[in-house]
Amino acid sequence: MEYLFSPDNWEWLWTENNARFLFEGFLINLEIAVIAIVVALAVGLVLALLSLSPITPVRLAAKAWVDVFRNLPLIFLILYLALSLPESIRQGWQENAPGFLPEALRGQLVLAGILGLVLYNSAVLAEIMRAGILSLDRGQREAAAALGLRYRDQMRHVILPQGLRRMVPATVSQLITLNKDTTLVSIIAIQEVVRSGRVLAQTAGNPFVGGGDVQAPILQVMLFVGLLFVIVNYLLSRLSRRLEVRESRRTAVAVAVTINGAEDHAVPAR
Amino acid sequence: MIDVLTENLDQFASGLWVTTRLVLVSFVIALLLGTVVAALRVAPSRWLQRLGALYVEIFRNLPLLVLLFISFAGLRRAGVDIGPWTAGIASLGIYTSAYVAEALRSGVFAVSRGQIEASLSLGLTQAQTLRQIVLPQAFRTVIAPLGSITIAMVKNSAIVGASLLALPDLLKQARVVNSNTFQTTESFFWAAVGYMLLTVTATVIFRALESRYAVRR
Repeated sequence: MEYLFSPDNWEWLWTENNARFLFEGFLINLEIAVIAIVVALAVGLVLALLSLSPITPVRLAAKAWVDVFRNLPLIFLILYLALSLPESIRQGWQENAPGFLPEALRGQLVLAGILGLVLYNSAVLAEIMRAGILSLDRGQREAAAALGLRYRDQMRHVILPQGLRRMVPATVSQLITLNKDTTLVSIIAIQEVVRSGRVLAQTAGNPFVGGGDVQAPILQVMLFVGLLFVIVNYLLSRLSRRLEVRESRRTAVAVAVTINGAEDHAVPAR
Repeated sequence: MIDVLTENLDQFASGLWVTTRLVLVSFVIALLLGTVVAALRVAPSRWLQRLGALYVEIFRNLPLLVLLFISFAGLRRAGVDIGPWTAGIASLGIYTSAYVAEALRSGVFAVSRGQIEASLSLGLTQAQTLRQIVLPQAFRTVIAPLGSITIAMVKNSAIVGASLLALPDLLKQARVVNSNTFQTTESFFWAAVGYMLLTVTATVIFRALESRYAVRR
């Protein structure tokens, strides 16, 4: 306890630009999370539609794809991609990455990290969307068909607008999980906040690498990093809860797409 | 394809065993802690409720990787070396306990008020009511969510092995095999099979528990 709260062990936070260094790392996490969720939503929608397709082989293939990538550990996917992505693709990204991206996101392995996050999350989101669509009353679909709409138009004008609205809270919850998962790319050496924290803990207090004379103990550094996540994710979870309440008011029937408190593993009722 | 498995069977088997033990022990911790926290969240005292809520909000929103750094490297630096194994199961267990607590809490709310009132009017204390009437039913309503939490746990256990801890779990062994054989896809494929084996086993067990014990409302 004494070690934990001793002011000497927290001095690093307001010396030089240590705090700013961590904030910049955290910004990279948020950026990765936003990029990954946007791409994963698009891919997830395609997967959800395929897994509801009336053509049996397509449906089975899509379901198998979703089940495989939903059930593999995310870090497993990231490490595999980092090891197996061809050199040419990795270098191509490094050379052609758009200039507006921060430097940390133009490295060779960034693509592996983001691709892993997208593969995993698109599968999870596809399952959430499929559940949202299946939770609609089948009368909706039958009415649309009776009105003479083609399959495509039934989906676009009747089913998707309702089904997707129901999954908004679940998607925000998934964003929280994704936000936490962005720390995993530190394992393949992308300079985000956990990596920055480790660098800080190693270099601060070491004048030979320009770290000044104030040490930054890793316990305190990681507690601070954790606090950043807790704050941002707490705000997101409040948002998700508010959306859920609004949604259940609008539709009058509360449809639990996620199991309360277990957003991590949103599983549709079987 | 198969030769990568047969020639490195020892590594894969020991990795699978480490992952299995990691998940089992952490699951017990998560269940115990989660029950205590869920009890706090439905306690009659407002302060206990807040304490439980604080616990859940902290550990549900904290990345597991950060928790691992705090519990291993952080504590070691502070002079408390609990070792990689303890740090791993403690982190995974505490992280998951927040989810277990949330699931159980929703199970508690599914128990009808009448039962609680009946139990209290029969002279049972609050604690007895919770332990003998409410919790047993709560557990039986949340078997399915507990199953998905367990599957998430199998996946999260890979983070323990991939972080700096010297725990040779399935993913770590796959990386070792990969660096020995240079057959990346094959090594990772067999590890994936291992993970699928665990998640499928968990699914089967929880399905069985569900059909045997679940309370349907």
